[in-house]
Amino acid sequence: MEYTLNSGAQAPSSIEVHKYYGGTVVLAVFLALVFQGVFHKFGHWSELVDLPLLVTIYFGVSRRNPVSGMFLGAAVGILQDALSHDNPIGLYGIAKTLVGYLASSVGARIDTEHPASRFALIFLFFHFHQVVFAISERVLLNHPAPFFTMPLLRDSLVTAAVGVLIFAGLDRLRRSS
Amino acid sequence: MLDASISRHRPLALLAGLILSQVLLLAFQIKRDHDVRLIRYWTVEALMPFERGGTWSFSKVGDIWDGYIGLRGTRAENASLHARVDQLQILNRQLGSEAAEAQRLSALLGFRETHVEAPMLAAQVIGASSDASSNTLFVNRGQRDRVRPNMPVITPEGIVGKIVEVFPGTAQVLLINDRDSGVGALLEDSRTHGVVKGSGDPEPRLDYVVNDEKVHAGELILTSGEDRIFPKGLLIGSVSSANPGNPFQAIRVRTAARLDRLEDVLILLSQQELVPKKTAESGGAKENQSNSQGIVHPVTPPPAAERTLKNPVPSNAVKPAAPSGEQTASPAPPQAAAASHN
Repeated sequence: MEYTLNSGAQAPSSIEVHKYYGGTVVLAVFLALVFQGVFHKFGHWSELVDLPLLVTIYFGVSRRNPVSGMFLGAAVGILQDALSHDNPIGLYGIAKTLVGYLASSVGARIDTEHPASRFALIFLFFHFHQVVFAISERVLLNHPAPFFTMPLLRDSLVTAAVGVLIFAGLDRLRRSS
Repeated sequence: MLDASISRHRPLALLAGLILSQVLLLAFQIKRDHDVRLIRYWTVEALMPFERGGTWSFSKVGDIWDGYIGLRGTRAENASLHARVDQLQILNRQLGSEAAEAQRLSALLGFRETHVEAPMLAAQVIGASSDASSNTLFVNRGQRDRVRPNMPVITPEGIVGKIVEVFPGTAQVLLINDRDSGVGALLEDSRTHGVVKGSGDPEPRLDYVVNDEKVHAGELILTSGEDRIFPKGLLIGSVSSANPGNPFQAIRVRTAARLDRLEDVLILLSQQELVPKKTAESGGAKENQSNSQGIVHPVTPPPAAERTLKNPVPSNAVKPAAPSGEQTASPAPPQAAAASHN
């Protein structure tokens, strides 16, 4: 199945749409959430990597379907909110819904197989996610959440680097066409 | 084409719906100030402008209705009310005038009732002289009312003048401040005789009072009866100012009657002295206090300064009543020129 650059509409393209074995997406999301929680228990360094965000980006870019991408992002975000102790349900959900939608749209337009492009995509989506998250916090919670800080820059770089590795690992779960 | 458009925008619509649903989900959870949920806060903030607008619109519609449509009959009603106000103002003025007249007539009646034995006639001032130098009035009584020349004209406050011309239905009154007027007078305290002569000014003069006599401002001046016009003891006025002169003092008299505001007067149909009923009943005691000039002093005379010109004629400062219908026949004193003036 092929998708055009415009969201959702089919069009002839050379960009390939990948498919995965059954339960791969659910398992990946589950593991991302579990490991994120486990890492958090072992130290502050877990904040360096946002595993749910990486899963959202990866499957959004790979499946190149904006509708499924946004629902995947919404599901991941809402679960992440539910696991947090003080976040109202929907705060991460909104941010990851937009990330899933955009990742699917971008994945339909450009090649996302190259590690460099993946690194750049993860880096940009990390900050886009942070901007949406900060706007939501400012508007809804009236909290002065930062849009950009040096620790966030560091985290985005680490997440992008880890993401390139994880994406390569997830590529192995693709079903051969 | 429509299907293609719907298909193309379907993911965007889903995205908007998904975001909106999560925002609403957040709004249900988040509480702002005063523990108010965000969804309630937003709802109120979103709806209140419309409610305010609706209220404003209904208010304006009501105002338009009340201010324009509902005022269809207002012009006619306003004109009617204006006419009613005019009528009421006229009526109010009439009632005020009638009340004032009633007050004046009441004073006249009171005066009349205290002098029931003296024939007198109430008259209304209907005009004045057109000559600025002549202080005369016209009253609505004349020959048909038995009015004759030289009859005294008085008010409860004091004397006014005398009848000089009589017509069938009217009579002309010469005021005591006219140049041609002269009234036999005496000072109440010193019993000094003189003549109150008009000068053309509002205040007449008291002539023929020698410089040796002590005259003080405010001292009452009464009629002496020597002019054969005015009965003795009627109040003329009070001393306004007294200054030594040559050969007599220059004394100004403030008349008791308001000569410039006369509306109702009494015409004495005889020169019979006025003796109030109460005084007549107890006159025997007062007669004992008569002085050598035959003037009866008050039994307990109040200080002259305490009296006001508004008081009626001092009832106990007159002689005992003469027999009814009898004219005072005392000869005019040579020192008083009142008779010649009258």
